[in-house]
Amino acid sequence: MNDLIWLHEDALSCDHPVFAEAAPGSQACFIWDDIYLQQMDYGFKRLLFIYETLLELPVTIIRGKRCDCLARLARQNGGRILVPATPNPLLQQTIARLGEDFAVEVIAASDFVTLSRQPDLKRFFRYWNRARKAALLPAGSMREDSR
Amino acid sequence: MDELCRSFASRERLVEYVAELSPWLDDHGASPIRGGATVAHDRLRELNPTEYGRTRNFLQGAVTGLSPYIRHGVLTLDAVRNEALRRCERPEQIEKFIQQLAWRDYWQRVYQRNPEWIWNDVEPYKTGYTADDYAPELPDDIAAGATGVACIDQFIAVLRHSGYLHNHARMYLASYVVHWRRISWQAGARWFLHHLLDGDPASNNLSWQWVASTFANKPYIFNLENVRKYADSSINVAAEDNAILDAGYDELAQRLFPRLQRHA
Repeated sequence: MNDLIWLHEDALSCDHPVFAEAAPGSQACFIWDDIYLQQMDYGFKRLLFIYETLLELPVTIIRGKRCDCLARLARQNGGRILVPATPNPLLQQTIARLGEDFAVEVIAASDFVTLSRQPDLKRFFRYWNRARKAALLPAGSMREDSR
Repeated sequence: MDELCRSFASRERLVEYVAELSPWLDDHGASPIRGGATVAHDRLRELNPTEYGRTRNFLQGAVTGLSPYIRHGVLTLDAVRNEALRRCERPEQIEKFIQQLAWRDYWQRVYQRNPEWIWNDVEPYKTGYTADDYAPELPDDIAAGATGVACIDQFIAVLRHSGYLHNHARMYLASYVVHWRRISWQAGARWFLHHLLDGDPASNNLSWQWVASTFANKPYIFNLENVRKYADSSINVAAEDNAILDAGYDELAQRLFPRLQRHA
């Protein structure tokens, strides 16, 4: 059984940990979904930028409705669906729908900073005062915050 | 379910192909900014985070052009920060650059915690006006870059031609749209998201809210003197061509926010 890697436009990189998580030989795909792209209201320059980026990635580009295409591919592969984490509500809806029928794993990329407690997000500088020390370190790796 | 082409003889052929894939769009002009990890890493190798800190507010300053690649995950904030740290002796030398990366991290965290803030006012406007006072649609003259305010029209032309705009110019445009024209920030945010290669709901919309004052303590305004300070010689900053921007901050605040003045 092979996993199916579903790359979307929030994570167009073969360095994303979703590739390391997948079983060897797994297929990666990007779904070119006309309806979704219109919902997102991306201009042509953006569509071209996305397509141009895809051409350097080891992905199959498939045109169709994303839920239908992904379900079909996942059945063919027989394994999990692996998808990079995204805050996009439309993509999250698709992930939730696929999760009803398939084993779906959402994989996050590396964090900019790791903070031990949720920062106050009321204003940027409240966050920055907490995050600053870690942000100035390689990999934002200081576990404890700036206090 | 059709598999799409991955091999093209030239960029022109690729542009034609993607245009055929997007018949719903009127404008099929390509940006000079290319997608792909190769270009992204080329730009990363050119990164000069120290110079960035000194000149980033200038429209021709040493900005990185990395934002479209960060927006689409070609590069992570982590990777860019780590590369920047390799290019300095002490992290404090490049704090301004890292702080700008942190803004994106901050916006993403706000988005994840409060997704409803992306299209709704986080707080009331602090302009003396209520949300109902702001027009819901972007006027045609702004969309077309034909406002008659010279520098504003030039910034709009750059936005439409390249899909990219210096952050300072974005702030000028957003402030003009919301405060001079009294258009809702949502209309402006939608417009930017359509055109910008790096358009991101969190960074874009919450920055519009910052300018509008619905996610800040006061509205952001600018004047012609500020544009003159930061613009390069390609921008028309003649007073007669930018008359509505040519005033001091106090006078502009009185003109733009008269209700605040009465209550002050």
